[in-house]
Amino acid sequence: MAEELLEKARDYFEGQIDFEGQRLAENLNVGILVAIGAISFLAGYITQDIALTLWIGLAGTALTFLVVVPPWPFFNRNAVQWLPARSGGAGITVEVDGKKVS
Amino acid sequence: MHSTLVRGQNVFGFFTTVAFSIAAVIAVSVFLFPQNPSAKLQMRNVQVVKGRPHYYSSKREEYAHVKFDLDMDLSSLYNWNTKQVFIWVTAKYPSESPTEPMTEAVIWDAILPSPSEPWHHNQYVHYKPSPSSSSRTLKSKKPSNGTPGILKLKGQRPKYQITDAAGKIAERANCTLELNWNVQPWVGALTWTNRGDYGLWKGLTGGRSKSFDFPGLKSKGEAAGATKEEDLKTMKGAEANRGKPA
Repeated sequence: MAEELLEKARDYFEGQIDFEGQRLAENLNVGILVAIGAISFLAGYITQDIALTLWIGLAGTALTFLVVVPPWPFFNRNAVQWLPARSGGAGITVEVDGKKVS
Repeated sequence: MHSTLVRGQNVFGFFTTVAFSIAAVIAVSVFLFPQNPSAKLQMRNVQVVKGRPHYYSSKREEYAHVKFDLDMDLSSLYNWNTKQVFIWVTAKYPSESPTEPMTEAVIWDAILPSPSEPWHHNQYVHYKPSPSSSSRTLKSKKPSNGTPGILKLKGQRPKYQITDAAGKIAERANCTLELNWNVQPWVGALTWTNRGDYGLWKGLTGGRSKSFDFPGLKSKGEAAGATKEEDLKTMKGAEANRGKPA
């Protein structure tokens, strides 16, 4: 029971996502941060208020963390189809020093 | 990007890149704002008296007390990336040996904040109300709504009396007053007084007084009689905050 719970907690904190999700996360990270950077600079430049640049930039970064870091369901939509496990030992033999190991 | 930790590290890493790039662009953007600073600086009154460096000193030196008029417009130095402008007035006169560089001494200075800077008691003018302003001091601490960088001073007392390295400053010739500044931005490089033109930045026009000579030494009786004692006082800045943390 405890073992099972621990395993679940580990999975939760590790937050693994599938390969397509990893590509998406990378693109979101770069896309959102670059967009926020451009928006914050322009907003500050137009209003002549450098504090606005700072706060938009920080808020946008917080948003990026929120979107990219947790293992959201949309990062796990393309689960990898693994090959079925073969029954143990069938067809494969491993020899070590001429002795059959398995 | 496969796990939470790696994603967190990647987001933070790219955030630092973006933040640095934006800061660099902001630092460069100040060159898009034209500057055309101008100032009129005049010597109003100069007296030389004997004094001592501090109360318990037995050393007697000559001190020059220079009053001046300043009518300046440095408002074009203020843009969205200006934190504050530090200005100071120097008296510049030839050293005793002609082979040595001119002697320069600061007689007055001020911190002129931009309206975006928070209140601080060292500032010469305030654009934000003091966080500790109580009702009884409200009137004196009322924030200014003037244009930053514009100052009109008439008969301004010096903050600092000046003396020469030799301790003798009476009857020295050919002194001029000069206005200097240092722009301190929120992000980017400091810039100092420029008299040449660089792109959209025009150099300072004026900002130098006509040359004058230091008068002879006034004897103590003469100083007390002919001029009021008041005339030899220096002006403390708003930063005269003894006992308070800076």
